[in-house]
Amino acid sequence: MSLAKYVKFREEKFGGVLFETRSEKVFTLNEVAAAVVREIKAGCDEREIVARMKQRYEDRAESIERDVSAFIVQLREKGLIQD
Amino acid sequence: MTKLTQGIASAAVGSRASPESADLGAPLYVAWQVTNECNLACLHCIEESGPGKAFRDELSEEQIFAVLAQFVESEVPYLSFSGGEPMIHPLFFKMAEYVCARNCELKVETNGHSLSEVNCARLKDLGVKAVQVSLDGATRATFNRMRIRGEFDVVTDGMRNLRAAGVPMEVNYSPTCFNVHEIGAAIDLAYELGAYSFYTGRTMYTGNAVKAWRKIALSEAQYSEFFATLHRKAAEYRGRMHVHFHEMGLLEELRYRLRHPAALLIVLPNGLVKLINALPFVCGDLRRQSLAEIWGNFQRAWCDPRVAGFIEDLGRDPNKTATLHQWVYV
Repeated sequence: MSLAKYVKFREEKFGGVLFETRSEKVFTLNEVAAAVVREIKAGCDEREIVARMKQRYEDRAESIERDVSAFIVQLREKGLIQD
Repeated sequence: MTKLTQGIASAAVGSRASPESADLGAPLYVAWQVTNECNLACLHCIEESGPGKAFRDELSEEQIFAVLAQFVESEVPYLSFSGGEPMIHPLFFKMAEYVCARNCELKVETNGHSLSEVNCARLKDLGVKAVQVSLDGATRATFNRMRIRGEFDVVTDGMRNLRAAGVPMEVNYSPTCFNVHEIGAAIDLAYELGAYSFYTGRTMYTGNAVKAWRKIALSEAQYSEFFATLHRKAAEYRGRMHVHFHEMGLLEELRYRLRHPAALLIVLPNGLVKLINALPFVCGDLRRQSLAEIWGNFQRAWCDPRVAGFIEDLGRDPNKTATLHQWVYV
């Protein structure tokens, strides 16, 4: 799993942005979503990302798996990541 | 917690759901007019470009690469090179190579007269995101009438070279009374030549277009028919080629931008930075100021009462766009 060819990620104070430069659309990410994208950029698979997010956001461990999976589905649907 | 899925919002650059530019650490997009020189003298040009029209103070090689280094360091993800004609700038390929090798997407906006097989192969090797070609007509007679010194066959051959090389291609079309009747055929031709996107909108009353306005301007009735064709063609090509167009007038666009500035800087050939192409305001000088300083100025400049005043005056006098090239420092 990696960012799609024309997608750029930049960290910001509020989290980050994904910029799909072919369609020129910008996607705003909160802090947690930006952390997930950082892991995708680092080459992690979904299972590893979930494990890392659970570790990082211990207080949210119950819902984090569901949230991360939903987010990755969304990224895939929007063509922002590729397998 | 805020669900991750609520943290991702989709929107076109600078529109309501996208991040406000004031929240960002740097621009997301830099549109760089690398030279004012052009090998053509188009009637409808919104710049004051043409043969022999390079600014006397265009950036030196050292200045160009110092500016590019700042864009890269600030992680500007997307640049475009335009002009004038960017591909006749002696450093064009060196600049493109620098950008593409540093994780930045590059779009080249060209008149399509330098798209030899060799140049297209170089663009492919560099990995440019797209080349946008101006194709203002579906026939040689129409195109050549608008694009003085231009040659339709050279452009369409160049587009075939782009396609053969595998370079993603977009088309830009400026409507005038010479070519408006060919809009449907031009979209068909763009698709046939391999474009994945087609861009058009209202031609602006500024730059060289001011001098030719009485000969080129469209009536509202002609625009109405033009946009009706575009709606039909956008539906016809859905899923195959994007047909982008803005029916919104300039005034509405500027009023919106006043509240929501796009995260976009316009860089002129001499390093001056404009707020937006459709306003005369300059908010920085890359020869003397850092990108960070200019980005701060950009945010403040949009709040300058002269900017709002100019936009409101434009509501009373649309001809004020004729002065866009008389820069005002804010």
